[in-house]
Amino acid sequence: MTTAQPLVDLRDITVSFGAVKALRGVSFDLRPGEVHALLGQNGAGKSTLIKVLSGVNQRDGGTVLVHGKETNFKSAQDSRDSGIAMVYQDLSLVPSMSVASNLFLGREPHGGTRLVRNRSIVHAAQKYLTEQGFPIKASARVGALPFAYRQLTEIAKALMGDIRILVLDEPTSALSAGEEEILFKTVADVTERGVGVIYVTHRLHEVFRISDRVSVLRDGLNVGTHNTSDITMDKLVSEIVGPGHERMAQATLSVEEGDRRSAFRDESSESSTHAPVIELRGVTNARLKGVDLKVRPGEILGLAGMVGSGRTEILETMFGLRRADEGEVLFEGKPVRWGSPHQAIAAGVALVPEDRHEQGLVLADTIAANIAMPRLPQLTRAGAFTKGEANRRAKKAVSDLNVRAPGIQTKLQNLSGGNQQKVVFGKWLTPEPKLLLLDEPSVGVDVGARDEIYGIIRGFARNGCAVVVVSSELVELQLLCDTLAVIHDGRVTTRVHTSEVEGEERLHHLVQEPAR
Amino acid sequence: MSTATTPAPAAASESRRNLARDLFSSDRPYGVLLALIALVVFFSIKSDVFFTSANLQNIGRQTTLVTIMAVGMTFVIIAAEIDLSVASILKLSCVSAALFMNDFSNNWFLGAMVGVAVGAFIGLVNGLLTTKLGIPSFLVTLGMLGVAKGIAFVVTDTAPVLVDSRPFWAVFYEGSIAGIPVPILWTIVALLIGGVLLHFSTFGRKVYATGGNATAARYSGINTDRTKILCFVFTGVLAGLASLIFTAQGHAARPDFADGLELDVIAAVILGGTSLFGGRGSIIGTLIGSLIIGVLNNGLVLIGVSSSWQIAVKGFIIILAVALSKRR
Ligand SMILES: Nc1ncnc2c1ncn2[C@@H]1O[C@H](COP(=O)(O)OP(=O)(O)OP(=O)(O)O)[C@@H](O)[C@H]1O
Ligand SMILES: [Mg+2]
Repeated sequence: MTTAQPLVDLRDITVSFGAVKALRGVSFDLRPGEVHALLGQNGAGKSTLIKVLSGVNQRDGGTVLVHGKETNFKSAQDSRDSGIAMVYQDLSLVPSMSVASNLFLGREPHGGTRLVRNRSIVHAAQKYLTEQGFPIKASARVGALPFAYRQLTEIAKALMGDIRILVLDEPTSALSAGEEEILFKTVADVTERGVGVIYVTHRLHEVFRISDRVSVLRDGLNVGTHNTSDITMDKLVSEIVGPGHERMAQATLSVEEGDRRSAFRDESSESSTHAPVIELRGVTNARLKGVDLKVRPGEILGLAGMVGSGRTEILETMFGLRRADEGEVLFEGKPVRWGSPHQAIAAGVALVPEDRHEQGLVLADTIAANIAMPRLPQLTRAGAFTKGEANRRAKKAVSDLNVRAPGIQTKLQNLSGGNQQKVVFGKWLTPEPKLLLLDEPSVGVDVGARDEIYGIIRGFARNGCAVVVVSSELVELQLLCDTLAVIHDGRVTTRVHTSEVEGEERLHHLVQEPAR
Repeated sequence: MSTATTPAPAAASESRRNLARDLFSSDRPYGVLLALIALVVFFSIKSDVFFTSANLQNIGRQTTLVTIMAVGMTFVIIAAEIDLSVASILKLSCVSAALFMNDFSNNWFLGAMVGVAVGAFIGLVNGLLTTKLGIPSFLVTLGMLGVAKGIAFVVTDTAPVLVDSRPFWAVFYEGSIAGIPVPILWTIVALLIGGVLLHFSTFGRKVYATGGNATAARYSGINTDRTKILCFVFTGVLAGLASLIFTAQGHAARPDFADGLELDVIAAVILGGTSLFGGRGSIIGTLIGSLIIGVLNNGLVLIGVSSSWQIAVKGFIIILAVALSKRR
């Protein structure tokens, strides 16, 4: 296999955005039938490298060989025509259109006339989705789908047609174990046919599971390329974080291996004596069917469940985005009927939503402006916006969370995906909320930074903040939470202490087979 | 890990740059500024009278209506909405003020207040229909364009309503302070209020956030509906103010004038670098944009372009200016 001509050969690629040197001479190759994982911290240059391959970003130097020929793609369409399929980190679907229309966007089948027949594309799309094992309805509107299903749709779209090279940029960031399996199976199928796969991820266990080779980037430079079978998790982590970061490497490993007894977990939660910060009593609305939940000060509660089970909706109800049609919501013991988030925020609730582009950020605005956004009432003196204070908070958030950016006036659209996610989290750091709601808080965040985020969440909890976490990564729930609630079909089916659940397997079973 | 590669710029120079950024916003209307300068140079060469202080004051006066309304329109467009009804608001406001002064009280101040209140009210209706019923503002204000204009015609029989009040004429058009004609002073007041609101107040932050990403703004506790409504009301108020200047200029409210003025207003805002998709724009840009419109209106007449050609040439130059400003 090593003798075969590489499908892709990138040599000495350099890219800069103004003063930012995103890539400083990176080489990367992909052989037929292999999965080549591409790793590195947030902002290391992974997405930039694959955008050079696809023609979205133009390179300043270096050569791109595809199928042995030097190429110079000017647009995503060019690279698509050469059989390169991309799944970008940030979704590129049209939310107002159906899954089927999105799948066929730009390649609509048509009869003799140039008219697109909606019925036939829905039919064709459904057939294709079912064949590939994607549990998605072709007629559904993309905007109405849970985030994970949108991600699956994106993957399904990339796989259509005659592809020779598949590029996946953090495709599993919102997927839970079940959906991840669908992806892995698909990847195995396509590599069987000789398709080469470039796989970008921050979930290191996936690397060992599906990749043949692995390359690590740091600060826009190659650190190393290895056969996956020749490298250990330890070695990989230290290559990613770089020399002089042993502590971070240690924390990273414990995150990866789900070691709950690692340094930072606080077992001493005497929180059960305090009155709950928030309580849902028989809450029923469009998606919830009678939810009872209490979260006490200092408690970190994890909501586990399948995509579409109602986890996100529970958070939305606590945040004033949905009302309770029946039942009641009590905040600090008093019934509340919030009609919109600003009431919840004023009471001390914070939400890190699951879709950072749609719900979390104003991409055209600066880091400082985004971080100020939820705290505008406090940042106002006699109607004037207190820029000094806003900038001070932004600087603190940027340094606490290690956001990699030239400064706080950098626009969000110029940050890497993981750094954008850190800003979404950073919006809520000052002042500390009383109730912190986290929907997939570490999507796309590198392993080192994830540890910092966990540290901050635990710090909040120690100061008496109640935390509710939704995560598709069961390891994350086990690492972070004191108690777990399993959600199934709009109801809480099980509530346990994390310490009662031995291992990820056990939790996996709880989620998959809810008690009846 | 990241701090190593992050240079820490000197605080002072950063804050100075930030101020410049505020004033010019992030969207640097330098391109259109060049276009404006080019037009001024061109007309100065072609016409002896163009670059005289009398004519420059003329331009200021003639541009007053467009600039004042463009300040409000900047807010609406940054909030990712549009207001096509500003010219009709102007008509109905001036008619209301004039009728009030003729029929109820000759007090110029009360009359002016009526004009502004009518503008604010129509803005409020525009805002409520857009946000609470979820009708796109393009449709709401297109409808309002007809409704307000129609009512102005009905109540006046399309005839001008004379306003006979010296203080009114003086305050809104004929007077001057320190040699500067009041219409220009009113323009400056509108620009200052708009600039402070947009670039230094919390409300301005809400407008940018609402237009930049309404969902994210709502998730951050910003009342996006109220923000949009206030933008429409502000535009209505400024259209009301413009209507007073317009009335004082002709000593009469003329519902049959000012047709199509909304297009000049929107063109001024877009020329100034405000994004039609929302989330970006600045008051300085809007000022430059209005001046381009004003210089064109004035200069084309001076160099003797026929009125039919003026329309075509103006349209062409607007497209050219926007195209130039898109290039880096
Ligand atoms: N359009 C842009 N303008 C300016 N800088 C940019 C732009 N896009 C990326 N960058 C910068 O280039 C660097 C590399 O970004 P890239 O998106 O490739 O990182 P990444 O490795 O994909 O990170 P992540 O894991 O967070 O997705 C970062 O420092 C980022 O801020
Ligand atoms: Mg990336």
